[in-house]
Amino acid sequence: MGDCQSLGDCDDKRIVRIYEYLDGALSREDLGEIKAHLDGCTDCAQEYDLECVIRSVVKRSCKEAAPDTLKAAILARLHEGRPASV
Amino acid sequence: MQTLSPQAAPAADFQLRVSIDSSVMNISEPEQTVSTEPAVVVTDVAGVDVANETTEARRARFERDAMVYVDQLYSAAMRMARNPSDAEDLVQEAYTKAFSAFHQYKPGTNLKAWLYRILTNTYINLYRKRQREPLQSNADSIEDWQLARAESHTSKGLRSAEADALDHLPDSDVKNALQAIPEEFRLAVYFADVEGFAYKEISEIMNTPIGTVMSRLHRGRKLLRDMLADYAVERGYLKDADQLTETEK
Repeated sequence: MGDCQSLGDCDDKRIVRIYEYLDGALSREDLGEIKAHLDGCTDCAQEYDLECVIRSVVKRSCKEAAPDTLKAAILARLHEGRPASV
Repeated sequence: MQTLSPQAAPAADFQLRVSIDSSVMNISEPEQTVSTEPAVVVTDVAGVDVANETTEARRARFERDAMVYVDQLYSAAMRMARNPSDAEDLVQEAYTKAFSAFHQYKPGTNLKAWLYRILTNTYINLYRKRQREPLQSNADSIEDWQLARAESHTSKGLRSAEADALDHLPDSDVKNALQAIPEEFRLAVYFADVEGFAYKEISEIMNTPIGTVMSRLHRGRKLLRDMLADYAVERGYLKDADQLTETEK
């Protein structure tokens, strides 16, 4: 494993940094730091790739189209002006 | 841990997501956990005068602006309700509630997040009430060994092989894997990874502090990885199950 000190001193912290990086939750300084680290560390870069793949797989798999009948029912209820029952 | 950085610097980096002003999410009083960054200044491009709008005009505006999210909300509802019929009821109810509260929505702010919050509240009210258990309850049912196991899987090795294998999983496996992780972890992961909501937005949608969102994401993602790896082994995409378990030592 490369020198991952800058990302945290254990695997757990390391992956948290990668999550945060992908989540867009890092400050500008941290962002530069982790980008530089990913360029130089194969282990972390692979971890990063894996996380990217998981996200794209989940995104791809969870796409569902609402049935047309549902869309029609929503519009119909909007026009009834019926208040929400809950 | 000092890694929390919700106030991302306003760099021109595409990775940074702009947070929304939580005050617009006024379906119920949101907990003001972290709100040190300035709200995004939103100009009301439509020039909507919400206070003096007729019901007809509001309905037209709602149809135009909110109905475009129906597929996304349905997909999210499927992760909540688990079957198409309940998911439809949930989305129907959420839209009905959203329309009756639409006068409280500030035009030009994050409508998608606003709708997700209503959907999530509707789910909690409708279904959790029915099942007589709070949203938080089943986190404890996750066995320690499951987390420990997920923990070890993420530790080292086989990353590229794993990535290839997971990439080939059929949608049904991925959905089942997601469904198998505890609800509040699942929803946090879904909101972040599929919908791309920022931590702060998720904390508003789920009405929990940002720290809780982050820990749910962390644990949820680990569990998800573990489940996905199991499916990949089952399908024979990860050909050497022994290699996977090797990382558990």
